[in-house]
Amino acid sequence: MSDDDFLRVTDVSKWYGEEQVLHDVSFEMDRGDVTVLIGPSGSGKSTMLRCVNRLAEAQEGSILLDGEEVLSPDLDVDELRREVGMVFQGFNLFAHLTAVGNVALGPRRVLGLSETEARERAEDQLERVGLADQLDSYPAELSGGQQQRVGIARALAMEPKLMLFDEPTSALDPELIGEVLEVMHGLVDEGMTMLVVTHEMSFARAVADEIVFLDDGRVVERGPPEQLFERPEEERTGRFLERIASHD
Amino acid sequence: MSVAGTLALAAVESLGAAARATAGAPPTGLSTAFVGDAVDWEFVFRNADYLGVGALLTIGLTVASILLGFVVGFPAGAVEVYGDGYLKRAVTVAGIVLRGTPIVVILIVMYFVVGVPQINLGVASISSAMTAGILGLGLRSAAYQSQIFRATLASVDDGQLEAGRSIGLSRFEAVRYVVVPQALRRSIPGFQNEFTIVLKDTSIVFAIGLAELLTRGYDLFSEQTTAVLEVILFISAIYFVLTFTTNRALDRLGSYYAIPEGEST
Repeated sequence: MSDDDFLRVTDVSKWYGEEQVLHDVSFEMDRGDVTVLIGPSGSGKSTMLRCVNRLAEAQEGSILLDGEEVLSPDLDVDELRREVGMVFQGFNLFAHLTAVGNVALGPRRVLGLSETEARERAEDQLERVGLADQLDSYPAELSGGQQQRVGIARALAMEPKLMLFDEPTSALDPELIGEVLEVMHGLVDEGMTMLVVTHEMSFARAVADEIVFLDDGRVVERGPPEQLFERPEEERTGRFLERIASHD
Repeated sequence: MSVAGTLALAAVESLGAAARATAGAPPTGLSTAFVGDAVDWEFVFRNADYLGVGALLTIGLTVASILLGFVVGFPAGAVEVYGDGYLKRAVTVAGIVLRGTPIVVILIVMYFVVGVPQINLGVASISSAMTAGILGLGLRSAAYQSQIFRATLASVDDGQLEAGRSIGLSRFEAVRYVVVPQALRRSIPGFQNEFTIVLKDTSIVFAIGLAELLTRGYDLFSEQTTAVLEVILFISAIYFVLTFTTNRALDRLGSYYAIPEGEST
């Protein structure tokens, strides 16, 4: 652990009422790293991800992003979220806006760009995710894969320094997963810093700098993919990977 | 024909017969019972101006009350969904009281107890009865409209608000730019109901002495008692045209702003 980690999560704990869902979770990332959180459902990986942009509130621990304490009560959460993009499992596209409208809303209302500038930026981002021909389509007119790519473009339009992906392909039909992973691969190649919750193990293996295996709200094991996938030290990790592999 | 239909026809027929008996006209069968006698229709048309002024008053009361109801009811609905503490409790209680009080009582309280003043607008002035009518009908409509908007705001998926927050919109901005546009679209059917109800309920202002459409109709057929049915049919036609055209206009608004849906999912 060095002092200049880009993201440093230290001993984060969270409770929903009486139930503790995160137990002293710690990991860190450098700028440009891709970290993948894996684990069984209910293991707390999505909750951990959401604590990073404060869509969920951690009660204990520390999350340092670029040297700033994310969990500080004085932090401007809107400012934080401006810099941290998020892609949702269920896409959550603004249903009443076109693809361009979805992507342009943040630049227009949060960054204060003019109508024209915001639209141009939205068009660029949609082109980046391969949707130049669907600019004026509404979410309900798009396939799941296209919707998720709009979701990625919407996050990218804010020019974030960190991207959070919360099971971005879990709600997709199998034949639509590839196009979304392809876009994510592209972002990795561009050097985007990404924290990803996913069950796509081949994607994780291909792009992750580190895999963090969570179970029952605890970090069971973490390490580079080749180590975690080939020689897991913990028995629980091995069992989980075997179960996943039979579906992969 | 159903029993109810037969009864209704019999009622109309006897009404027509009674009218003819008073006027001394010969009985001419069922068709006259529906359409009425020419002399009574002539009476209605001769007084069309008188009814027209009543219709204008009805329209004015409806428009002003619906607008006041929207301006007050929309924020009230939003407070019930997004607010907390005393403000939310105050809004909820006010809504329950207004919805639980007969409209005649609300109007009488406005006019005789609160004693709202006459309002001078330079070119025209609004009588204190009219002001009381607009306030009474408008505030009651606000109480009902708040429930339309409360329901539709709450019906928008939480993920929409969350996605808005995730790009850095404040809570207010996310509600304003993401939730409200979707909620307003879903409010149109409820709003159509509310409009129709307010339009017809404007007749209650007779209680504070305002002569709107129905009151003027009542005055007319009190004067010529053979024309009861004709006057009522004529007035009903005016109400029908008003509700029908407004509902169609709101339908058009709804389809204009409808969110396109494709076949793919």
